[in-house]
Amino acid sequence: MEPRACTTESTRAHGEATTSSTAGNLTMPTVRESPSKKAIRLAKSLPRAVVALVIGMSFLLPLYIALVTSLDTRADVFQFPPHLTLDWQWSVYTRAWHMFRWAMYLGNTVLIAVVTIAIALITSILAAYALSFIEFRGREFVFTLILLVMMIPSEAHLIPNFVFLAFIHLLDTYAAQILPYGVSVFGIFLLRQFFLSLPKDYFEAARIEGCGHLQFLWSIALPMCRPILFTISLYIFIGSWNSLMWPLMVTQSHHVQPVEVALARFLNNNSVDWRRLSAASIFTTVPVIALFLFLQGYIIRGIARGEGIQG
Amino acid sequence: MSAHSPFAMSVTNAAGARAKRRRRLRDALTAFLFLSPALVFLAVFVYVPSVTAFALAFWHYHLGGANTTWAGWSNFTDAVTFNIFQQSLANTFYYAAMMVPAILILSVVIAVLINKASRYYTFIRTLVLLPYATPAVGTAIGWLWIFDPTYGLANGVLHALGLHPSMWLQSPRMAMPSIAIYSLWHGLGFDVVIVMSALASVPKGILEAASVDGAGSARRFFRITLPLISPTMFFITIVTTIGTLQSFAQVYALTGGSGGPEFATTTTLFLIYETAFIYNHFSYASAMAVILVLIILGFTLIQRWAGRRFVFYQ
Repeated sequence: MEPRACTTESTRAHGEATTSSTAGNLTMPTVRESPSKKAIRLAKSLPRAVVALVIGMSFLLPLYIALVTSLDTRADVFQFPPHLTLDWQWSVYTRAWHMFRWAMYLGNTVLIAVVTIAIALITSILAAYALSFIEFRGREFVFTLILLVMMIPSEAHLIPNFVFLAFIHLLDTYAAQILPYGVSVFGIFLLRQFFLSLPKDYFEAARIEGCGHLQFLWSIALPMCRPILFTISLYIFIGSWNSLMWPLMVTQSHHVQPVEVALARFLNNNSVDWRRLSAASIFTTVPVIALFLFLQGYIIRGIARGEGIQG
Repeated sequence: MSAHSPFAMSVTNAAGARAKRRRRLRDALTAFLFLSPALVFLAVFVYVPSVTAFALAFWHYHLGGANTTWAGWSNFTDAVTFNIFQQSLANTFYYAAMMVPAILILSVVIAVLINKASRYYTFIRTLVLLPYATPAVGTAIGWLWIFDPTYGLANGVLHALGLHPSMWLQSPRMAMPSIAIYSLWHGLGFDVVIVMSALASVPKGILEAASVDGAGSARRFFRITLPLISPTMFFITIVTTIGTLQSFAQVYALTGGSGGPEFATTTTLFLIYETAFIYNHFSYASAMAVILVLIILGFTLIQRWAGRRFVFYQ
């Protein structure tokens, strides 16, 4: 329907049509461009590139400002208008590092994330396997029941979970921060989708050879879905690192608290010393940023796939 | 079942059927064993508590269970008549009303702008998506500095433009918009990536045909691309709305855990958190949570229903 609407317009927009086709289609790389044409093409794409760069930099700016502040000399911090050059005063980092037991908090965060990943991967892989390779009555029902979890907002079970953990005396432990995340429904969804896409022949051939479910899962299915396992682990890791509300609720003792909760406390205790705050925020955030920069391909794939879930 | 040797067949059939039944039973047992860890976790931490939340809201529950008394609807009537709760809902919807149009417009603009296959634009996408992976408290500090009324960059920009400075997070009027600016920075990359993957699925042939027929780039965008990615835009609208209704971390991080000034940034979830875990009114907070959950479920249902009826799918 759209092309037809455009044909009626084509006479009116004739001039534009010819220019756009010469610019877009005729100067393809097979034909060597003359230097002047290349310069014109570059000049035409320049405004877009500049706007894109400005947008990109504005997303980086708040992180960069924290870096500038953390490396400032004491006098420079309170300067108006603010400046964006680095002063390289690293001493505040050692001071901020020694004020809190950051190594312990970082260790807690990593420990909680890694154990959560281990548990969630095991439960999710087993469930996804059963939902794709084993035929049994009620399979669709169970899958719907699991997908239902994605529709239930977490506020629904927030308070009862706290009450339950208090009841079984698990408040203020690592377990309280791990167990509620013991399954990744997103993971089950992704893995099931992948398992179902595998040719049935693999499975049947393995079964005829006398390969049991666990053996097939371990030695054939899992090695093939390594990238998906990686995406799931990465999501759990970042989610666990960034989670704030639940650890705020269930922890009080410093020795089980993750780094985000400690940083929030540090922020409240030192609210006047911007340099220390910025330094602490940098060394507690850089690990996630580094992880993102190295593994963003997996994150982007996860977002693109996740979209299909609710859409 | 063949006519040749009925006796022999029936014997093997019976044996085969028994073997099949045994295999099916074993499969069902395996499936049960494989599914039970996940289902036990979900039952304990999602299914059962989601139901108990409703029950909790109808009692006066104190931690430990002593002195628990029936409350009827009183927690609900107390909540809806509580002016801070009303204000928290207003704050939350105000926040959503700022976020949804901003996200919709900016995500499409940025996605279209950087939707080019080159290293340069991939790098820009990395920068735009980077905040999405960062923690709220860790990045709040840079933003607190930007929003600082005396020394901050935000007022520096206003000053350079010859505009009046603002108190940003410290002014009741500007605090929620300031948090919205932070959240845009934090979450926009996610939506940009989603719009980019939708753009990639628009058939090139249609766009080329339209271009040959003389449609300019603006016309191609509004008449072809935008209608074709409308399901994605709708998805983003709902997901952003639901996400803003659940906002907590950005408020906590940017207001030093206060929800101030003058409750201006107290979102409903923030109030629930305070009521339950600072003041220990678990049942009262549960009633608030039930109301919030019902509102969120309402939006989820709208998505399911309207998504099927009004949005153009290919």
